[in-house]
Amino acid sequence: MLAAEVRSGEQIYRQQCASCHGVKGEGSEEYKRPLTGDRSVAQLARFIARSMPKNSDKKCTGEDAQKVAVYIYETFYSKTAQARNKPPRIELSRLTVRQYRQAVTDLIGTFRGPAHWDQQRGLKGEYYKSRRLWRPDERVLSRVDPVVQFDFGVTGPEPNKFEPDQFSIRWSGSVLAPETGEYEFIVRTEHAARLWLNDTKRPLIDAWVKSGNDTEHRAAIFLLGGRVYPLRLEFSKAKQGVDDSKDKKKKKPEVKASIALEWKLPHRTPEVIPQRCLSPLAVPISFVLTTPFPPDDRSIGYERGSSISRAWEQATTDAAIEIADYVMSHLAELSGVREEAADRPAKLRDFCCRFAERAFRRPLTKEQKRLYVDQQFEKVRAVEAAVKRSLLLVLKSPYFLYREIGGSQDNYDAASRLSFALWDSLPDVELLRAAASGQLATRPQLLRQAERMVSDLRTRAKLHDFFMQWLKVDPVPDLAKDSTQFPGFDRAAASDLRTSLELFLEDVLWSEASDFRQLFLADYLYLNGRLASLYGVGLPAGSTFQKVSPKSGERAGILTHPYLMATFAYTATSSPIHRGVFLARSVLGRALLPPPEAFTPLPPELHPQLTTRERIDLQTKPHACQTCHGMINPLGFTLENFDAIGRFRDKEKDRPIDTTGSYLTRKGAIVKFTGVRDLAAFLAASDEVQEAFVEQLFHYFVKQPIRAYGPDKISALRHFFVDNHCNVRKLMVEIAAESVLQPSPARSVRKGK
Amino acid sequence: MTTNQTRREFLRDLGISAAALPFILNLPSLGFANQRQRKQRLVFLFSPNGVIPSAFWPEEEGPLTTLKESLKPLEPFKERTLILHGVCDKVRGDGDNHMRGIGCLLTGIELFPGNIQGGSHTPAGWASGLSIDQEIKNHLQANPATRTRFGSLEFGVLVPDRADTWTRMIYAGPNKPIAPIDDPYQMFNKLYGRMKDQEHLKSILDDLQEDLRKVRSVVSTEDRRLLEEHAAFVREMEQELKASKEQDVGHAVPELEPGIKTENDNMPRISKMQIDLMVNSFAADFARVASLQFTNSVGQARMRWLKINEGHHELSHHPDSDKDAVDKLIRINKWYCEQMAYLAKRLAETPEPGGGGSLLDNTLLVWTNELGKGNSHTLDNIPFVLVGNGLDFKMGRSIKYPKVPHNRLLLSLAHGMGHRIKTFGNPDFCSAGPLPKLS
Repeated sequence: MLAAEVRSGEQIYRQQCASCHGVKGEGSEEYKRPLTGDRSVAQLARFIARSMPKNSDKKCTGEDAQKVAVYIYETFYSKTAQARNKPPRIELSRLTVRQYRQAVTDLIGTFRGPAHWDQQRGLKGEYYKSRRLWRPDERVLSRVDPVVQFDFGVTGPEPNKFEPDQFSIRWSGSVLAPETGEYEFIVRTEHAARLWLNDTKRPLIDAWVKSGNDTEHRAAIFLLGGRVYPLRLEFSKAKQGVDDSKDKKKKKPEVKASIALEWKLPHRTPEVIPQRCLSPLAVPISFVLTTPFPPDDRSIGYERGSSISRAWEQATTDAAIEIADYVMSHLAELSGVREEAADRPAKLRDFCCRFAERAFRRPLTKEQKRLYVDQQFEKVRAVEAAVKRSLLLVLKSPYFLYREIGGSQDNYDAASRLSFALWDSLPDVELLRAAASGQLATRPQLLRQAERMVSDLRTRAKLHDFFMQWLKVDPVPDLAKDSTQFPGFDRAAASDLRTSLELFLEDVLWSEASDFRQLFLADYLYLNGRLASLYGVGLPAGSTFQKVSPKSGERAGILTHPYLMATFAYTATSSPIHRGVFLARSVLGRALLPPPEAFTPLPPELHPQLTTRERIDLQTKPHACQTCHGMINPLGFTLENFDAIGRFRDKEKDRPIDTTGSYLTRKGAIVKFTGVRDLAAFLAASDEVQEAFVEQLFHYFVKQPIRAYGPDKISALRHFFVDNHCNVRKLMVEIAAESVLQPSPARSVRKGK
Repeated sequence: MTTNQTRREFLRDLGISAAALPFILNLPSLGFANQRQRKQRLVFLFSPNGVIPSAFWPEEEGPLTTLKESLKPLEPFKERTLILHGVCDKVRGDGDNHMRGIGCLLTGIELFPGNIQGGSHTPAGWASGLSIDQEIKNHLQANPATRTRFGSLEFGVLVPDRADTWTRMIYAGPNKPIAPIDDPYQMFNKLYGRMKDQEHLKSILDDLQEDLRKVRSVVSTEDRRLLEEHAAFVREMEQELKASKEQDVGHAVPELEPGIKTENDNMPRISKMQIDLMVNSFAADFARVASLQFTNSVGQARMRWLKINEGHHELSHHPDSDKDAVDKLIRINKWYCEQMAYLAKRLAETPEPGGGGSLLDNTLLVWTNELGKGNSHTLDNIPFVLVGNGLDFKMGRSIKYPKVPHNRLLLSLAHGMGHRIKTFGNPDFCSAGPLPKLS
């Protein structure tokens, strides 16, 4: 056989072209121009056939020309090939949507002071014996109530202290929103009530006029997760207005009174606002942006701001108007300048400077002060119009919208990198102060700040959001299940399960040890009364969430958490494939291609005698499937003890369940498991799992490719992680500090020039 | 989206591009939404505490000759005025007469039981149905030809900052009172805020481009692409803003006297500002239905500018024998009537855009009250004074009805606006249909 006949495009290229054009098409002394361009494969092939190689009799023609064209096109010539070959770099990025929302809340918040969230839980309750809520002398009781859910009967909160037909109560404090989205607040009472939320003037719910038989009052409000909002609830059993009837003193019929304060988290079912989300402390109101934004690019696994669109540009304009309107309507409060102040224009100009500085995360240059503030005040006479123009310009400015622009790499950039890494938001006052005094220059200084910042509610919220994404439960999945097989598994149960998962994560991640391995190894879970009866655990019906350990060896942290088991399942049967894909992709960080074509799962009724495992084996038997399913299925099968709602079972169709499985590591070793505890032990100690987690956490927090921070960054961070007993909190601190210590793209470019 | 559609959006729905807008809007035939039928508008004006009948009602049925003292300000519009006597609010149930007076006035239906206690009556809550203006607005908004940006606008003057049965006249549905906007600056923002924003945006765009240029020079070539795209989007916005210049209103944005606080003594100025805004919003075709609520049922305006220091409600309880109180009440109602006359005058002076005649030729004003007479708290002979030619009613007359339920008048207004409903509010009061003799 002649070698020439079977040569690949690469071989031909190396033999006939590389001497002039370079092995990677980079060019040579003689032919300096690199082989890059925008011709198509066909055009390239024609060109090659006509004229290549130059100065040689033996031309490259026909099929050979075609092969070479395909090879160079795909390897280095085309735009996509170039992009692929480029070394990862830190790209200029705009704020992501999450960052934008957090940043504008904090931008306005810095003019109000921080919200405190200490150890106290519940709401302050002030009880008045009459309808006169404003009279301190008629207050007969003051206490902290864990939740608002009372049935006062016909007498009142306490015997003999209240006038049965006219007492009133005020609850006040603050509420922590656990996640971002549209909330619904619900007040249930047969009497008058009103609720203020994140607004001290206008009530969110005004049912002070009792009218008709409505006993349920609802109102929706968009809240950012990980933030605390002021709340006040007033209740009155009394009639309002004037009663001048003659029989006023006559004994009135006895009337019952009750009240409950509930909420409905985004995509969840209503519940009494739990004690863990309430605090008796007063906090300032927060600005929450409601302008909708187009979603960020999440195509490579994490949201990033490396592209813009017309819709995004429009959203930043609409948002700038919303924010400026809000500031204008709270101008006296935020600027601290009274309307009648004599030097109001000068003071408002100063306020605009401070606003711009906080938005840009650094002091203004002379030029910036001129452009963003002074010039706006010189253009218009009305001082309000000048303020508004200045605000709009600042909010549309690249210095606000983009991250660390210009690459000055000073202490202010460091402050921004830290705060965006941990909070997705602007530096706080303390960070800016540290930056101003040059206290963010060394690694220990950065670590000190990051350690302070890591316990902030904003970091908790960011870590929470990361986990929801990592566990594939963002957006909230719809867990409708077969009601004949799983009676009692309704929307409320699904909603409770999500809470149960969140409590578990909170418990592991924010404990002292913050031990990542416990996510796999823990044998307990959080259940309340409703879930306990569903999962066969003995708890009194009305119980609130508490830690319970079902039979030993049954559960293994997130691996068996019923919320995830139910998510990775069909309505009636488990889904070893979904479970296996989750383990392979999220936990082990394996790249899996989507199936070559869409498959409908084999319906169980078609093979009534087969177990789930046997049915999956049957469907994925073809060789083409096994490339991926050879990894997916044996991982997923180890979880077959858990049915479509995550209940433990040891039999399916009266046959014992086979939970054996295996995994072929990247190093080529086959690991075998029987059941989930085996799997958990392997995953908890696996360097593949650690590395995948480090990489994914880094990407979510820093929003730049980790490889742009050096080829060894992943393994260095993994070693740090392992050396610190897989402490997630310490890892976040380390990642934040490391993201600062890298050269900025602009600087490396300048060096190159 | 039906309630918020702007004319721009409407035209966009028609498939007319932004570039064509400046030309199209200059053509009277397409410049405004409905050109086939004449535009019709309906405005309710409310003042509280009843009237002094002898100084209010004409003696006779038939063409209006002289007007009584309280109605004197309408003298210039006598030919376009229709006074309806004998229309009674027959709705009963929970609540005192002031509450039912305002709560059932435009809803024609009972109040829900509740916790608002007035005098010795049973306590009540909100009305159990929507008000006729909202019914008509919903009808107009459902049809693209009569749809406007807001549909209806609810103005107020010195409405107390307190939501209860006595302060609400307009209802979007059962238990859904709508608070009137009694701060002219707030109303201005609602009407023109977007235009002001565009003006501000336009002014900052050059500065923004300048800064984007500067920033571009300090980033790497690879990163520059992103900023160039950004600059291109900003340029697009600039061009769009240029193209959309002022087209949204078709007239100059009114200038408001700055710094007027919503306080009792500013009532005349606030009233004028609100009326001016209402006329402007009609000229811009922002809405076809509006209401203007002076104070509230039991309202306590102190008209010191008329040398009256007592509160209105307090005065209204004085007996007929108290000549001084009666004189003051006549003057108070005359002042309210002046407000209606000012609105009529402004409408008569303003040409109907895209058509012949004036705004008043296509607008009917309905001035009403929660009581017939203050010191008796009667719900009989509720004042209904109509001005303007918005509906095809025969104006310039006084009609005396034999104590007809006011639901029938509400029906007539709906029919007059092209909404032919069979009943409105409590159907028991509607069986005889719309009122006769109106057209």
